[in-house]
Amino acid sequence: MSICQDLGLNFQQRMGANISQLERDIGSEQFPPNEHYFGLVNFGNTCYSNSVLQALYFCRPFREKVLEYKAKNKRTKETLLTCLADLFYSIATQKKKVGSIAPKKFIARLRKEKEEFDNYMQQDAHEFLNFLINHINEIILAERNQSTLKLQKNTSGENVTCNGTVPQSAEPTWVHEIFQGTLTSETRCLNCETVSSKDEHFFDLQVDVGQNTSITHCLKCFSDTETLCNDNKFKCDNCSSYQEAQKRMRVKKLPLILALHLKRFKYMEQYNRHIKVSHRVVFPLELRLFNTSDDAVNPDRLYDLVAVVVHCGSGPNRGHYISIVKSHGFWLLFDDDMVDKIDASAIEDFYGLTSDIQKSSETGYILFYQSRDASC
Amino acid sequence: MAVQPDSGGKDDVKTQFVTREGTYRLMTLSEYSRPNRVGYTSGSGSSHVRVSLVSLPPGPGGGPPGSDGQGSDDRICFNHGKELYVYVYRGVKKAADLTKPVDKKMYKGTNPTCHDFNTVTMTADSVSLVIGFSTGQIQLIDPIKKELSKLYNEERLIDKTRVTCIKWVPGSSNLFITAHASGQLYVYNEELTCGTTAPHYQLFKQGDGYSIHTCRTKSTRNPLYRWVIGAEGSCINEFAFSPCGTNLAVASQDGFLRVFHYDTMELIGRARSYFGGFLCVCWSPDGKYVVVGGEDDLVTVWCFSERKVVARGQGHRSWVSVVAFDPYVVSFTDPESDEGVEDDRQKSESVQCYRLGSVSQDTQLCLWDLTEDVLRPPVRARASAHLSPNSQTFSPNGVPGMKVPAKGTKSNKIGHKHAELSGQNNPSGESSGAKQPAKTKVNNVSTLNISVGKAKEESSGSLGVNSLTQRLAGFSFGDRRSEHRRNFSLSKPAEQKSSASNTVALRGKSAGATTNDSFDPLKLIGTASCPRFDECPVLEPLVCKKVAHERLTALLFRSEYFVTACADGCVNTWARPARSLNGESRPLRRFEKIDLVD
Ligand SMILES: [Zn+2]
Repeated sequence: MSICQDLGLNFQQRMGANISQLERDIGSEQFPPNEHYFGLVNFGNTCYSNSVLQALYFCRPFREKVLEYKAKNKRTKETLLTCLADLFYSIATQKKKVGSIAPKKFIARLRKEKEEFDNYMQQDAHEFLNFLINHINEIILAERNQSTLKLQKNTSGENVTCNGTVPQSAEPTWVHEIFQGTLTSETRCLNCETVSSKDEHFFDLQVDVGQNTSITHCLKCFSDTETLCNDNKFKCDNCSSYQEAQKRMRVKKLPLILALHLKRFKYMEQYNRHIKVSHRVVFPLELRLFNTSDDAVNPDRLYDLVAVVVHCGSGPNRGHYISIVKSHGFWLLFDDDMVDKIDASAIEDFYGLTSDIQKSSETGYILFYQSRDASC
Repeated sequence: MAVQPDSGGKDDVKTQFVTREGTYRLMTLSEYSRPNRVGYTSGSGSSHVRVSLVSLPPGPGGGPPGSDGQGSDDRICFNHGKELYVYVYRGVKKAADLTKPVDKKMYKGTNPTCHDFNTVTMTADSVSLVIGFSTGQIQLIDPIKKELSKLYNEERLIDKTRVTCIKWVPGSSNLFITAHASGQLYVYNEELTCGTTAPHYQLFKQGDGYSIHTCRTKSTRNPLYRWVIGAEGSCINEFAFSPCGTNLAVASQDGFLRVFHYDTMELIGRARSYFGGFLCVCWSPDGKYVVVGGEDDLVTVWCFSERKVVARGQGHRSWVSVVAFDPYVVSFTDPESDEGVEDDRQKSESVQCYRLGSVSQDTQLCLWDLTEDVLRPPVRARASAHLSPNSQTFSPNGVPGMKVPAKGTKSNKIGHKHAELSGQNNPSGESSGAKQPAKTKVNNVSTLNISVGKAKEESSGSLGVNSLTQRLAGFSFGDRRSEHRRNFSLSKPAEQKSSASNTVALRGKSAGATTNDSFDPLKLIGTASCPRFDECPVLEPLVCKKVAHERLTALLFRSEYFVTACADGCVNTWARPARSLNGESRPLRRFEKIDLVD
């Protein structure tokens, strides 16, 4: 905590806040059965990981799949996924309802897996989330391929080369099923007017932030028409040459959990570094998308905000990360090893600032919206 | 990645803008704020600066006492932080004098949040002002006479949560209503006390998603009634009485607009936001429409007689904090000059175009023209849609016999995209068609309206060919949505159709517990309460201007000006266009109060 302490933070007040306070705030009768609220100990600037892990733990479909993985997979070798599964399992099976846990093994594994995280520096929570989701997905795919190979060896007795087109690999993993959406980008060549479209998958959407806007508006801007010109011309198959074109990206498949990354760190040439953009961006507790494509399967899917990773401080490599999550109808704030119940009205403290005077801010950085039709 | 350059909030704040009726100008000398305003302060946290205006009856000697002899009968009240100010309001004619407030109050441990003048009991030198507070209490003062001061809910025994809205009951000298963040609404009589104990309630009336209680005591005490509205603990953000005083519209954080008959306490209609809470509500001057604004960044127009959402306005970049009709800019039909109108349209004079204003947390003011052809689509289009929903030659735009390729063929698709992609030169800069009409969603369409779904497909084909007649500049349909809505409205006469065609909606996880199924947004989507986005006309604003540095929190229209306020405590006055410059345009008349015939 002391290492990633931040300038304008009020959270120090809660230092030493005892565990029973949270239970008292929730009330023993209201305390949801089979639910555990455990803070995560900070190992020196690991709040970027703690905040994301808490947010993911309270994305219920994700938590359930991780725990299912833990139940199904008898330990073979340690991966980041087995470490995550052990951590989630450890939280979920605590005797006490509240407390804190040291995610030692997970952090150690993370530092082995990725060089960039093998230090005591503050990391970008979104980079970590991105790495974690992709990495877990790769682990699942690799394990699936391996078992397919084994299976085929056993049944046919022949050697089958894994060329990546094993049919099972095309099947979505549970990570895909939870986080993956599809963007369709439509490009119209300004020379021949041909419209071509291309689909690409995403695990999260990264949106630019504007002052005094809503996340709804930021998402609309994300899908605004963009003109490709000058150095950025479009290679038109029809014209067989680079042409000016108009491009627009819209959501074709809406994911079960929509993760939205607010691009709050802007590279500023005049300072030669990234500057935090603290703009006030409001995010509603309920969301639908306006930027869906015409052939979107479920364009009016209704989402509920379930977790927010909040960046506190003035820049990407300084400051602190916390998270707020919704659990059983109330909101909790996780600040490393500390957990507090907060009022839903306190969420507006994390929208951002309307003026640029203050350097430091506590702002929503990654938003997790879960589809209401998600069964859990 | 398609991204917009960061506007950074540094774009200029506009001090004037033009509409078809002329130029509106910010009167810089008519800015009201706290007397010793120290520059520009950032309002972090919630600062709901609200404005109340009142025109006192003229005193016997001309200028009313209490004023500075400059002869203005208007008083303005606004709150900012812990403070509340009442000034003589001198409109657009004279500069504001901030040195001599009529009254000012500074509160400790609580903030005033809302207030209302009583226009029934006011005299030239006396007016009752009720004030609600962030901690739930209510105060009644006379800012002119200064001898009156009463407190209600002083010990917070009635409600501990923030007062979100306070208003006198129309035409009443002593009844007022408060709404609270707890989701409850209380009726008070200013002459009664609140008692020394917490009230014991007994159920008085119950309906779908609400209940009304009275106090169970021997002597009458406050509150007279308690209305519990919506999901438990979901904040009531604003309420508004219809112009005739008969109906009460309530906008709530649970995303619902509920319209009650005030005296019978019956729920007579409702609407659901596209998503998020409804934050503000107002009635059209004739009581025919209710408009709500909310966290979906939209203004939603609900038609009282049809009990359905008839249009949505998209133009704000953030949550809509206030909606208000401008009763002074209304166009009436003029049968002679209305060329190209269907024969069977009513010839009698009726409102052709309403003017709506809205302000938002995006610091922008939007003005909207709600035209009759959107709100009440011409009868003929409906009739033809009804008669020949499957006809290949059906064309909603009245071009007979035009072959329309079925949607989904390659050429049509390209044409459509072309139309959309090049549609970016519209005045507001918003994408003209975020979405084109959805293709038939087989699993969501009941047998009842499959044919309608087909008609919808075909009509969308005529896209690039016909352009709708736009009667007013700056106004357009988001797409050709109105046509689809016209078709659709046929088989969806009322909300009741929902269950048949929407049972496909997936189960909500919490459904079944305390939530009433009829309030499940997953079931309501596609009904009259909450049409799908592409099934309802989308309006674009007539003007959309950044008029403040901070979030806007108030908007009031008066005959010669309108007033805005923002979170930093600045109350601004905008002069209307000079009348003489406007001679050639349609006559603008004050809307006469029309009692609703239901
Ligand atoms: Zn080309």
